[in-house]
Amino acid sequence: MIIMTSRQQILKLYKTMLRESQKFPSYNFKQYAVRRVHDAFKENRSLTDAKFIENQLKEAYRNLDIIKRQVIIGQLYSTEKLVIENIEKNKK
Amino acid sequence: MSGIVKNIRALTRHSCYFRAYSVRPLAVTLQKSHTVQQEPVHQQNLLSYTQTRFYSPEIKKTKPSEEEIKERVLKVCASYDKVTADKRLITPHERSYSAKPPLTLKLISERVLLVLQLYDKINPDKLNLKSHFINDLGLDSLDHVEVIMAMEDEFGFEIPDADAERLLTPADIVRYVGDREDVYE
Repeated sequence: MIIMTSRQQILKLYKTMLRESQKFPSYNFKQYAVRRVHDAFKENRSLTDAKFIENQLKEAYRNLDIIKRQVIIGQLYSTEKLVIENIEKNKK
Repeated sequence: MSGIVKNIRALTRHSCYFRAYSVRPLAVTLQKSHTVQQEPVHQQNLLSYTQTRFYSPEIKKTKPSEEEIKERVLKVCASYDKVTADKRLITPHERSYSAKPPLTLKLISERVLLVLQLYDKINPDKLNLKSHFINDLGLDSLDHVEVIMAMEDEFGFEIPDADAERLLTPADIVRYVGDREDVYE
């Protein structure tokens, strides 16, 4: 596992980004981040150019740091939950 | 209040460096002025400016008398309710812990299939325990990661990536969860 192929690395990155995106306290940011991560990875599924893939990976790691920072800031200055979120909780 | 008055009187008599404290250290200042009186020669050499600082006098609490203490003790004893005291002394014999619902393999497989049915990329008709995610259900590796994440959320424990890439059918997942949760049938 320590020696990761790039495929495993990408899948691990995908999972990490999704996990961090779900930590957003704000409903809007959370939904946007999850959807954007999903769409971006889906879009770049069938890439073959190694250099391009490397660039995309760097971009992804940078975005992961952004997500982590914004999660912490959002938790510091959180607001009330939206009405939609209360409905979701009741449904569960 | 009387302490401050005393200080002002002492102040007017001796034009020395004074500091007026609250009631308790008053004795200190008076003693100081007393020692100065014994050396009148040096008094002229001292600067004839006066500086006083007034602090709020301490509120002295009078110590309660024995009668008062007796009364208060009796009052506390009288209000000692025997009924509540009994309830308090007896320790509760049952302890409540939080626990997960008891898992059986059947329950695990039901939950796994439910989660997969809720996933919109999977066709519920084709879904059964033996259907392969990639070959039969047409998911790709990214969808597989999402499915594994959903399983982690459902059962409340993390599945490491090394194990996750080997779980390619619902039956595998059910067996893996059973192994993790020690569910043997």
